Amino acid sequence: MKKLLLKKQIDTFRSKAQKLEHPREMIIDLLRAIQDHHGWVPDEGVELAADILGIAPIEVEEIATFYDKIYRRPVGRFTIHICDSICCWTRGGEEIAAHLQTQLKIKLGQTTADGLFTLLPTCCLGGCGRAPSMMIGRRFHGNLTCDELDRIIAELREETGG
Amino acid sequence: MPTLTIDNQTVTVAEGASVLDAAIALGIVVPHFCYHHALGAVGACRQCAVTILEGKQKGLKMSCLVAAEDGMVVSSGDAESVAFRRQVSEWLMTNHPHDCPVCDEGGECQLQEMTIGAGHGIRRYQGNKKTYINQDLGPFVMQEMNRCIQCYRCVRTYKDYCGGRDFGVLGAQQRIFFGRFKDGPLESDFSGNLIDFCPTGVFTDRTNRFKTRYWDLQQAPSICPHCSLGCSTLPGGRYQELQRVRAGGNRLTNDSFICDRARFGSDWNNHPQRPREARIAGERVEFSTALEQLEARLHKLVEEYGAGALRLLGSSRASFEVNLLLKRLAEKFGAPPPYYDAHPRRGFAARVAASIPSGQLASLKQLRGSDLILVVGVDPLAEAPVLALALRQAARSGARIVVLDPRPVELPCDFEHHPLTQETLLWSLSAPEEHELFETLRQQLEASQRPVLVAGGDLLGGEGLRLLLRLSESCCAAHDCLIFPVLHGPNSFGGGLLGEAGDSQRNLLEDIENGQVRALICVENDPALEHSEPGRMQLALSRIELLAVFDHLPTNTVAAADIFLPTRTLYECGGTFINNEGRMQRFEPVLEPGLPLAVTGGGDHPPRQFEKTAPGSAPRSAVHLLQWLLKDRQNLLGLWRQIIKEIPCLRDLDRLEAGDSGRRIADCEDKLEESRLEIWAHEGELQVLPITARYGSDHYSRLSHNLASRIERPCIWIHSVEAAERGFVDGQQVVLRTASGHFHLPLQFKATMARGRLMVPCLSGTPLEVFTPGGLSLPCQLYAEGDHG
Amino acid sequence: MSSTPQLLFKNRTPGKTLLFKEYCQTGGYQALAKALKTMAPAEIVQLVKASGLRGRGGAGFSTGLKWSFFPSDKPAPKYLVCNCDEMEPGTYKDGELLAADPHQLVEGMILSAYALQADVGYIFIRYAYDRQLRNLQQAVAEAENAGYLGKNILGSGFDLEIHLHSSAGRYILGEETALLNGLEGKRPNPRLKPPFPAERGLFGRPTTVNNVETIANIPHIVNGGAEWFKGLARNLEGAGTKLFGLSGHLNITECFELPVGIPLREVVELHGGGVWKKHKFKACLPGGASTPFLTAEHMDIPLDFDTLAAVGSRFGTAGVTVFDDRTCMVAVTLNLLKFFARESCGWCTPCRDGLPLVCWLLEKIEKGAGTRDDLAMLKQQQRHISGRSFCALADGAMGPLDGLLRLFEQEVIDHIEKGHCPF
Repeated sequence: MKKLLLKKQIDTFRSKAQKLEHPREMIIDLLRAIQDHHGWVPDEGVELAADILGIAPIEVEEIATFYDKIYRRPVGRFTIHICDSICCWTRGGEEIAAHLQTQLKIKLGQTTADGLFTLLPTCCLGGCGRAPSMMIGRRFHGNLTCDELDRIIAELREETGG
Repeated sequence: MPTLTIDNQTVTVAEGASVLDAAIALGIVVPHFCYHHALGAVGACRQCAVTILEGKQKGLKMSCLVAAEDGMVVSSGDAESVAFRRQVSEWLMTNHPHDCPVCDEGGECQLQEMTIGAGHGIRRYQGNKKTYINQDLGPFVMQEMNRCIQCYRCVRTYKDYCGGRDFGVLGAQQRIFFGRFKDGPLESDFSGNLIDFCPTGVFTDRTNRFKTRYWDLQQAPSICPHCSLGCSTLPGGRYQELQRVRAGGNRLTNDSFICDRARFGSDWNNHPQRPREARIAGERVEFSTALEQLEARLHKLVEEYGAGALRLLGSSRASFEVNLLLKRLAEKFGAPPPYYDAHPRRGFAARVAASIPSGQLASLKQLRGSDLILVVGVDPLAEAPVLALALRQAARSGARIVVLDPRPVELPCDFEHHPLTQETLLWSLSAPEEHELFETLRQQLEASQRPVLVAGGDLLGGEGLRLLLRLSESCCAAHDCLIFPVLHGPNSFGGGLLGEAGDSQRNLLEDIENGQVRALICVENDPALEHSEPGRMQLALSRIELLAVFDHLPTNTVAAADIFLPTRTLYECGGTFINNEGRMQRFEPVLEPGLPLAVTGGGDHPPRQFEKTAPGSAPRSAVHLLQWLLKDRQNLLGLWRQIIKEIPCLRDLDRLEAGDSGRRIADCEDKLEESRLEIWAHEGELQVLPITARYGSDHYSRLSHNLASRIERPCIWIHSVEAAERGFVDGQQVVLRTASGHFHLPLQFKATMARGRLMVPCLSGTPLEVFTPGGLSLPCQLYAEGDHG
Repeated sequence: MSSTPQLLFKNRTPGKTLLFKEYCQTGGYQALAKALKTMAPAEIVQLVKASGLRGRGGAGFSTGLKWSFFPSDKPAPKYLVCNCDEMEPGTYKDGELLAADPHQLVEGMILSAYALQADVGYIFIRYAYDRQLRNLQQAVAEAENAGYLGKNILGSGFDLEIHLHSSAGRYILGEETALLNGLEGKRPNPRLKPPFPAERGLFGRPTTVNNVETIANIPHIVNGGAEWFKGLARNLEGAGTKLFGLSGHLNITECFELPVGIPLREVVELHGGGVWKKHKFKACLPGGASTPFLTAEHMDIPLDFDTLAAVGSRFGTAGVTVFDDRTCMVAVTLNLLKFFARESCGWCTPCRDGLPLVCWLLEKIEKGAGTRDDLAMLKQQQRHISGRSFCALADGAMGPLDGLLRLFEQEVIDHIEKGHCPF
């Protein structure tokens, strides 16, 4: 299993937790750090966060399960958040989502068999002027067309040597 | 005190009360879920809408969130609020599985009632319902999340009120889940409150699953017998089986909460070994035969050896009435007055507690409202769990909690802990001005507005309680400093009231050993377990010519009895307990005694042979037995009136009703004997302190099958640093050598207990049952296994 | 293209972020220097009040008035929190602003904190704004280096530290009290009010929460004065400029800084380049997903808080999403409602359980399986959810439903009578 966090990162978080009057305020930073490093937040990640913050695991879980951009289940190497809100919808968001599903041979919420892509619907990404849009990892892609999509996916596949 | 009008009825409510509070006070049913008087208003369910016709904010409002104002006019029955409440009900029910026929909550479900109350009948939503995977929450609480209406009461009960750290709310939007991080038993000692507070069947009593419909239960208001706090309960039984206990409601004591020991530990009442038949020398006899023979032999013995040879032992778990009649019996025979505790030190502590002027005693309610609480010599979760809840409520409102106790005390709230040894505590209390910590605390008590001293009778003893009383008097110049004594039995205080001066000077054990005692009548007491030296006591009991025992528990004393008469439990007869703060509280019989149908019919069918009496129904109330011996048969009301004449401080005794909030005794005259601090200084020596375990140390929980999983394994506690210095490791098997024997047990490290001491939880049924809590530390030696000699 | 004076976007070059040096060269941090040297905190509050600036996060409450409730005299810590959650569909102005010119926000934060005498600032940034986060990190660091942040700023004796908080999704965090819970690391359910954040906000301390654009306006108001700012609006009641984020069926879907009070027609036809594909204008959301639709008949009303409220809609965030005449308004409403249902925090019943019920009804109608009873039920839902939920989320969700039922009821009936979606 991949490590949850680097030793250095854990130490930094721990010393910060010591200094802060309200260590809990780091909870999202911590969960996101674990997610960035490990890909998603497993149970052990919740427990690690709880340990660093000096709270019970359930208290971390209460937060982790609230946010949709914290993954409590395994995701592929690239998480594709495809916007399904109104502005993207007006400019072909549904077609883009359908195209992605066909190309990747998965449905929304699923991960490709090769573990490369997870497809998740998301609400507005704040790129309404460049609809339809999506986010892969933290990278925003706007003004999407089916061709553009194919190009992006192919590029990512290539990048991973697939 | 605003006066407002709701549905044309006028009511005056306290400042800060909500419109919903006012409606409840008027008896107007405004459906609601998230609001509970103990949890407060959070405005989540939106079910309690009413229309404000006159007031600062007009229109449709949530009645739980709007403060009652003077002159306000409110309607709960107008078309708009009725329509809205019906709509809320439809929303709440969109995903509900409608599985009432197989739900244990059925019949006592607030959701059922409020749905009908809100007028929702037909669900128009025809889409899929969401479903959940449930968690296994352990042996006490069953979870069925599909029934959940997301009122958030559970999490507010478990986490916010009770301070549990292993339960929470997960997810968002319509996918909210209430549960643990992972499957597993709920860790809080108050987990069962989830059952009472969940307004529907998400959390139900797993110990009573699929057994009984609410309306088939025999229920009556009662008082919990598991510690001295006297929490109000509502037990329910059926087919001669006590099946469950719910929290009663007494705002002055436990409010609406009870601990798990109280809730799940009541099955001792159905204990398979419970003695139900009269016996002479171990042989089953007719009840009347046993009684007649007892009377005859008592007269003969008294004639022969004088009344001084007859001793009587009441108890802290017998009702006040029983203990009083026992005193009468002693008077009738001219025998010395009864003892009210098998444990002399505990008996004395109870007498000191009972001598504290009534006005100086604190209630749990006052504790919850205190701003500085000094807890001296009490481990609340072990000795009086609901006290821990009260401390938490005080802490939540900003109170400071300071605990002085040698044990590794845990509390569901922030507190300061000073782990002083028993000896240090007592020495310091005897001259607080000489100890910096105590002097500082004294000044802080003096400076606070509503200080309370919580005092443990077991650890401090009567002398310690007196010292604390002195401390409270020394810092009450500006504000009263109240005392909250913690005793060990539900009627310890009552025994303390009846106990006579000089009691502790007469040593029952030595008198038996000297051969001075020829007959002992033991009522609902087990000296062979509860005396400070149980082993020695058990041996002594075997030498008594006539050991008469009245009891309902399967005890060693019962086994040793020459004449045994089975008594009814508190669930099978009415009576009165006086709790640790001098509150008289009445309990009513819940069911008739008898072998549970689950036993006689194997859970299937009533017995097929027909007798005039139900199997196992012989036990009689100890009151009746004593009245028979006294030839004074009168009803309880007559008895109460008589008691009042004799003991003026009990003047409200005949005005009590089961289920009410009880009444404080009035001040009594102090008739206490002088005593001095008995501390044995053992410089440099290792000592062991027998302590109360959270489960398995009280008279009852050790006999509960339900609680078995909560009872700890026997072990020896030691401070981590102390242990390291002596070269021990955590969990190591060691030998503890004491005057009561050698014990081969594992060590358990505790980081927050006093140094220089060992502690053993007193657990009956284990080698540690030779120890009794309530005494002083005992000298001991500790070796690694295989290392002693 | 426009003669509108550009304040917030005056330095904007698409694809480029203005750095500290460039920001200073264009007059940046001069308002701060001026205020710290010559103005008392209360003067700034007064100035902002006089400027007529209204909250740019959607609610449109007077910023100066809100600030005047802040207990500046209470001991530290006191917090100024900048809300950059910006997750309402159709709203992307703050993202554009921070992508182009982040120092405006930093300078605005310092000025606002000074006005309020707050000593700690937090900027709450939504998950998707990664670039904006990095911009702000750099801007805050640059400001610190320049002595604009930290202890004794510019020798004024005023201290301020700014922390950045990057969130992990969820629209509800845009609600100010939910945001505070989120910052504290608690479940971001909205809080019961009172107490209001000014009294007990972040970590129980006095707190003011303001939107990015609101705060970014402060340096300009300090520089230009209240009268000047007020005069920027096209109408008499309005004040200042506004970032309009255009989206939907327009030829140009970009973000523009335009005067408050500009008529809808000018926004759509001039700046938006007209409806795309030569289709006709059918409706628009004037200020984000929670604002009731405007139709062609509203083309000439000035876009401002009060005028839009008067026609049953809201100015909101001025994220204008346009729908052409081929658009099914039932489908639009369903899309919007699905968003709100999914982003409910799950706290109160009307939102948690009511919105999914509305979605179910709309879906049924959109599929052609709806009945007249369903329409009646839909109306009932709208009546009962509006104004009766715990916070503004479900209330906002009723905006588009209200628009649908008020302006496009016939379209709903067509679905029911035809048994299919007519588009």
